[in-house]
Amino acid sequence: MNREAHREKGLVFSIQRYSTEDGPGIRTTVFMKGCPLRCLWCHNPEGQEFLPRIAFNSSRCIGCKGCVDACPQGAINFTADGPRTDRGKCQNCGKCADVCPTGARELIGKYMTADEAFSEVERDILFYRNSGGGVTVGGGEPTAQPRFLVEFLKKCHEQGIHTALDTSGYVEWGEMEEILKHVDLVLYDIKQIDPAKHADYTGVSNELILENARRISSKGIPMIIRAPVIPGYTDGEDNIRDIMEFVSVLESVAKVDLLPFHRLGEPKYKKLDRNYEFECAQPPTDAHMQKLKRLVESFGLQTKVISK
Amino acid sequence: MAERKLWEVSKTLSPRIRRLRDYYFMDEEREFQNNVMSFTTGIPNDVVYQIMDFVSVPDMLGGVLQANRDGLAAMATRLDLPTDFWDQPLVIRKALFFQKVLQEIPVNILNDELIVGGRFCTSLSTCLTEEETEEFTRIEAELIDKSQRILSLGLSCGGVTPGHIIQNHAKVLQEGFRGIKEEVEGYLKRPASEAKMEFLRAVIICCDAIVEFSHRYAEEARRLAKAETETRRKEELLKIAEVCDWVPHNPARTFHEALQATWFSHMVEMIAESYPGPGISYGRLDQYLYPFYKRDLEEGQLNREEMMELFQCFSIKHNYAYDYQTTGGPHGRNAGFGQLITLGGQGSNGEDLTNDLTYLVLDSFQELNMLEPKLNLRIHSGTPKELMLRVCQMIRDTQGSPLILNFDSVVIEALKGEGMSYEDAVDYGVVGCLENTAQGKDTSGTVDVHFNVAKSVELALGDGKDWLTGERLGVETGDPLEFESFEQVMQAYKQQLRATIEHVTEITSACDALRGKYVPCPFLSAVIDGCVEKGRDIRDGGAIYNFTTFNGVGIATATDSLAAIKKIVFEDKRLTMAELLQALRGDFEGKEDMRQMLITKAPKFGNDDDYVDSIAREIFRFWCREVSQYVTPTGKRFRAGYLSWNHFIHDGAFTAATPNGRRAGEPLSNGASPSQGCDVKGPTAAMKSVARLGFDLLPSGASHVMTINPTALETDEQLEKFAALLRTYNELGGASLQLNVIDAETLRDAQRNPESYENLMVRITGYNAYFVGLSRVLQDEVIARIEHRL
Repeated sequence: MNREAHREKGLVFSIQRYSTEDGPGIRTTVFMKGCPLRCLWCHNPEGQEFLPRIAFNSSRCIGCKGCVDACPQGAINFTADGPRTDRGKCQNCGKCADVCPTGARELIGKYMTADEAFSEVERDILFYRNSGGGVTVGGGEPTAQPRFLVEFLKKCHEQGIHTALDTSGYVEWGEMEEILKHVDLVLYDIKQIDPAKHADYTGVSNELILENARRISSKGIPMIIRAPVIPGYTDGEDNIRDIMEFVSVLESVAKVDLLPFHRLGEPKYKKLDRNYEFECAQPPTDAHMQKLKRLVESFGLQTKVISK
Repeated sequence: MAERKLWEVSKTLSPRIRRLRDYYFMDEEREFQNNVMSFTTGIPNDVVYQIMDFVSVPDMLGGVLQANRDGLAAMATRLDLPTDFWDQPLVIRKALFFQKVLQEIPVNILNDELIVGGRFCTSLSTCLTEEETEEFTRIEAELIDKSQRILSLGLSCGGVTPGHIIQNHAKVLQEGFRGIKEEVEGYLKRPASEAKMEFLRAVIICCDAIVEFSHRYAEEARRLAKAETETRRKEELLKIAEVCDWVPHNPARTFHEALQATWFSHMVEMIAESYPGPGISYGRLDQYLYPFYKRDLEEGQLNREEMMELFQCFSIKHNYAYDYQTTGGPHGRNAGFGQLITLGGQGSNGEDLTNDLTYLVLDSFQELNMLEPKLNLRIHSGTPKELMLRVCQMIRDTQGSPLILNFDSVVIEALKGEGMSYEDAVDYGVVGCLENTAQGKDTSGTVDVHFNVAKSVELALGDGKDWLTGERLGVETGDPLEFESFEQVMQAYKQQLRATIEHVTEITSACDALRGKYVPCPFLSAVIDGCVEKGRDIRDGGAIYNFTTFNGVGIATATDSLAAIKKIVFEDKRLTMAELLQALRGDFEGKEDMRQMLITKAPKFGNDDDYVDSIAREIFRFWCREVSQYVTPTGKRFRAGYLSWNHFIHDGAFTAATPNGRRAGEPLSNGASPSQGCDVKGPTAAMKSVARLGFDLLPSGASHVMTINPTALETDEQLEKFAALLRTYNELGGASLQLNVIDAETLRDAQRNPESYENLMVRITGYNAYFVGLSRVLQDEVIARIEHRL
């Protein structure tokens, strides 16, 4: 399976219904797989790569060894700790997941046409209508699959479904502008104002991101800024103040969500046989979050902490 | 964010209500006990306890019921009856006996209370002659045997149950028993058969009896007032006396009188039926009490606080039903007796009927934190936003469990479908748990039958035989190894359903005939429309609407099992029928991989998946239509319901392993809900699947239980989203919904048995995550935090 063969399709890794924190009303969030950024703290590591990946949840494994026989590459060895996947050999073909009786092995990422994805989100149209909700596309980075995204969002709009784009903003403006034609609300991540630090933490510089933010705002499309509060990286008052200084002049910004660090991504790293760097990190305290909240409010911006 | 607390009694209760509540919870330490009192005519082997009333209760299998009967007979008080008692026809004897009981039963007024009427747990003689008793018990014994057989095989219960009814409270308030009696006298003046005349005379005796009973309370109040030294209480007692002198004989004039009349009529019905509480419900109390509330408020007679105090005095009384448990059965106080109040909903022009009293009842309920009475809220497209938010808040703050939502849209359609007029359907009330009936004119026997629809999968895969005992229970549908297509499996399944349904209706019909002949209830006939007009007792088909409800149990278990056969055996051919049967027969022993595969590789009901939902709909609708063809000898048509009550556990214990991966003996799916933990796509998908069953064919309603984490209901924004979710369920055709707002203990159980909690969402850090997907450490954190908040 390669990306070229699925040019017209989008690679989706999850469709979550009754999503209540990704924009107004009851929403369905479509998570697109693949992201040009590599944020150190990423809590959706399964959304980073642009190809389907085999994940393994060891707590579900009953040791039947079906996967060992099913793998055409011979990439799975059965050890005292259960099956181990040689990630170098694994082609992510999904044959092991197909035979796995418990679902411990799972192929993450599914190529879907815009029609297929739309027929999934269309199922809750009544809930959107009654709640002022709609569809949110997130990821990964949805704008990295612009062709699919435009077609999908267009279909949503044709059916009168409100659309929100949850993005890092790291995309060439021409592509973004095309996408924005079909977007009612942008959930826009701003992580760090200092370009060097941004590059250190995410693998890319933030110049394009900040520039795109200004352009989206000048088009008058409502934006909610989302700032992750990561201990030791982005949680300093200075950083938040810098972000707010930038944001407060963007006219279309309706409010700011503060997203405190959490460790929900941890089991996902394990499932992908990847190291988790934040094992010892502690979520920011409530007191710190309240302080940041007041700081945001001092810029005249409405804000909430998306947290417990 | 505010700390979350478990639901508890309000700190702002009035001192009086606080004292009354505390007194109730003194339990055995109380001086006042509402123990069961049994009364006999004194004939040998007098039947003072109706076993048939309780054969539907699975915990009462075996000798418990007979032991209850023997015990209550042994302790029964022999009543001094009129000399010509035995010359009277049965219905008159019942009325005279009832009258005598109301003269004898102690009257108790508790310190501080404003609404009075204490002892109501009774066990009354059937008033049969020796010869009648002999015939009655002979037929009864045969029926009990049949009923217990199907219950012990996990197929069904089949009997007739009292309660589960709404009397015409509005009429009692507007006309009083004086008015009801005058109406009966009117009918007596017209020519009618002797049997009708006797019945009408019996009703009159009952009307007099309740009035006399209230006057005994008036006397008691005056007696206490005389001895009372405290001026304020003295005045209260004199007021109580005045109220009890007036109602329920006369039409009520004030909110106080209306509440007292309603309570008298309710408690006396419990005495008459010897059935304290279960399902004896009020219907739309916020409608028929509202004129009195409004008038008193407008005329400045009482303020809201005083009305609240009166209403809470009234409410607390219902909890004394649980005193029955000490002699009446094995259920603890946790058993819901289900004295329901229906709130809100639409009127006949589609208008919303919410009023101030609706909110007062909600507030009272939340403040008191007691089991009874329970509330059902009717939701329709015009339910005001304010009420929706109030209720969502309450669901959150009370952990959800005590409040059930019923959805007008499909309920009204289904009630019309069973033959109810539009006006009656739109004015429906709820009894028992969530069962829909007309108010004041309907006997629907809403818990008469609980039938295991998953058992027919076992029978279809066993040529009609019960797997555990080898007993033939169904019909011969052939060797499953020879089935060549899924259609043949489905065909066999339907044949088994059809045959077992017919068998169960025969048992229930025979019970109904026996009850119709030997167990009249003239008091209840006085307060249910139709009986007096027709001159027929309620037990004999006197009510305007006569039904007996046939509840299904385990629809999702059956559906998921059939879907697994279709997908795994016939389509994907991952297993042969022989392999499947072998695994099932061996209860998946040594075949965990096969069991897991049946769970994960076949679609499950509850995920908005047409593949499996269409199977659910097909068998659901087949079943509803099959059931509603039968009519009992007293003219009660069988109607469909989907209340599992606790039968999903009992029936599961006697159901073999099923192709959905469920092990032998494990519970079946509950009500119309998806199988435990199998609805993994969240509430919207579950609602769509469940509504797709098609509740337009299900007048009695369906239980659908959903589990919500409290963290998903914290902010106002979340509550609004949740309210929109509920509104949409009404639009989709949901029948009812019960929510569990989860606690730490459940989360711990989820850690131990993750497969049963796949759908449990927790909202810890900004979005909803599935609890079982979290690492152990995080799960512990979540639990710790929730515990901390408790």
